[in-house]
Amino acid sequence: MPFNSLPYLGFLIVAVGVYWLLPPRFRGIFVLLASLAFYASWDVVFVWLPLMVAAVVYVSGRQIQSDVSGAKKWMWTGIVLVLAPLILFKYRSFVVVNLILLAKAMGAQPFSLVAAIAFPVGISFYTFEAIAYLVDVRQRRVTMPKFIDLCLFFMFWPNILSGPIVRARELTPQLNFRKPFEPRFFFEGFDRVIWGLVQKNVIANMLGIWVDRSFSPRAAGSPSTIDGWFLAIAFGLQIYFDFAAYTNMAIGAARLLGVTLPENFRQPYHAATPAEFWSRWHMTLSRWIRDYLFFPLNAKWQGAPVPLYLSLVGVMALVGLWHGAGWNYVLWGCLHGMYLVAYLVFESFKTEHAFLGSRPAAMIWRVLTLVGVSAAWVVFRATTLSKAGAVLTSMFYRFAGGRAFGGEFYVFTFAVVLLCAAEPAILQRLTEMEEEAGADGLSLFRVVGRPIAYLVGLLLFLLFDENRTQFIYSQF
Amino acid sequence: MLPDHAAIYDAAREAASQIACRPIKEGQRLVTSGLIDSLSVLKLISLLEKKLSVSIPPETLQPEDFDDVDLIVETIERVAEPAS
Repeated sequence: MPFNSLPYLGFLIVAVGVYWLLPPRFRGIFVLLASLAFYASWDVVFVWLPLMVAAVVYVSGRQIQSDVSGAKKWMWTGIVLVLAPLILFKYRSFVVVNLILLAKAMGAQPFSLVAAIAFPVGISFYTFEAIAYLVDVRQRRVTMPKFIDLCLFFMFWPNILSGPIVRARELTPQLNFRKPFEPRFFFEGFDRVIWGLVQKNVIANMLGIWVDRSFSPRAAGSPSTIDGWFLAIAFGLQIYFDFAAYTNMAIGAARLLGVTLPENFRQPYHAATPAEFWSRWHMTLSRWIRDYLFFPLNAKWQGAPVPLYLSLVGVMALVGLWHGAGWNYVLWGCLHGMYLVAYLVFESFKTEHAFLGSRPAAMIWRVLTLVGVSAAWVVFRATTLSKAGAVLTSMFYRFAGGRAFGGEFYVFTFAVVLLCAAEPAILQRLTEMEEEAGADGLSLFRVVGRPIAYLVGLLLFLLFDENRTQFIYSQF
Repeated sequence: MLPDHAAIYDAAREAASQIACRPIKEGQRLVTSGLIDSLSVLKLISLLEKKLSVSIPPETLQPEDFDDVDLIVETIERVAEPAS
């Protein structure tokens, strides 16, 4: 049941309706059952896996709390146990294929192992939530809830497939479902769900048609310079609108139940520096990496430059590997790590040279950030490194003329660029319109504008439903 | 022995202002507002250690433990040890 499908919308409306009709004491168990049914609709074979992760966290977490001297040992035991299924299901084929290649390169006897096995959806996301949970219990930031509440935390359907990656302390207190109904839950929820449907079906999927065709292994030769740039930009926009669509629908579904999930995006292509890009893109993953990997590592080394630079590239390579078991993802992560290092080095010279702190220098960094992010997307998207090399060569080195697409590709991509550019102003205006109407007041925007926007959004979703594809991040 | 609460508060406010390169008001968010990043938090820890002659073990900390002046004071009182 993908979020952008009529069966899911039916499920959502029925589940939200039943939820608010039930007495509060039954809502938790109802959401757990609905979440199990939702996950089973994706992956009936692996529905036990998030429950097993919950059981591991429950047992380890209780031991961490009760056995103070052995808390560290229990935390690491729990982390190893929850990481094991992720490595087994997600990285097994990557490890096996690379071992075989290494053995061949070293002239050893060829061997074969079963490499490919099924991949449970959402595993990367709930595994990270589980690790954070165990660390937070060890750091006494949270206490262990009842087992059923822990199952609900890991199974909660709005965010089980692809995040946002939530912390125990922001979601667990909300899962008692005691909030009384407020009309704004519906407005805020449906705003996000319907905008998500439009972002996915109209924008991301349309761009995907051109991008998929050009990056497919069957696509011939190198693109022209202009096509290379347009493809890099189009994929950057596709993956943003695809993941932002999913996130909006996840946040919207939770909001319909009165639950607030953390935001994942803040207009990432408006970032002025590589570091700022990561505070605007997939914010809950960035936060996880910062709190549970980058900060503890560098606190140990007290921020010394060489370990800091090495750890930045290493941590970003891991971020790449988290996205998928492939060298292109590792390379994408390393590129971002190098951008971050380059910016840190630049910053260290800022106090000595006045020009480096000037507006033109800031403008140059803004452009470099956009160019660097776009180039890295090519590596991320390309099915082979040679394909990535061909596109990047056309973009930066061997300039060639010609256009392989119809005018609609360039016009559509440019229109989406303009939409992205105008996004902060649009959001600002919408917020002002909400504030003008007051907390419970009626306004033209609420009575007429919003229903019309919902109707147009749903019509667009249905009109473009034939382009339906999987959300990109559901593969991660 | 750790310095008293008022001394820790003054040092925290001064160190936060120095790292953020602007005066920090009471309750002003540092990390969640994006005013300082995780690297600046490391610098802040090191500055606080010098100012207060304490040792702040970082293993059990997260950047958001330093999100405002009151939190910084609370964190220091919770985890800091007098420098040996």
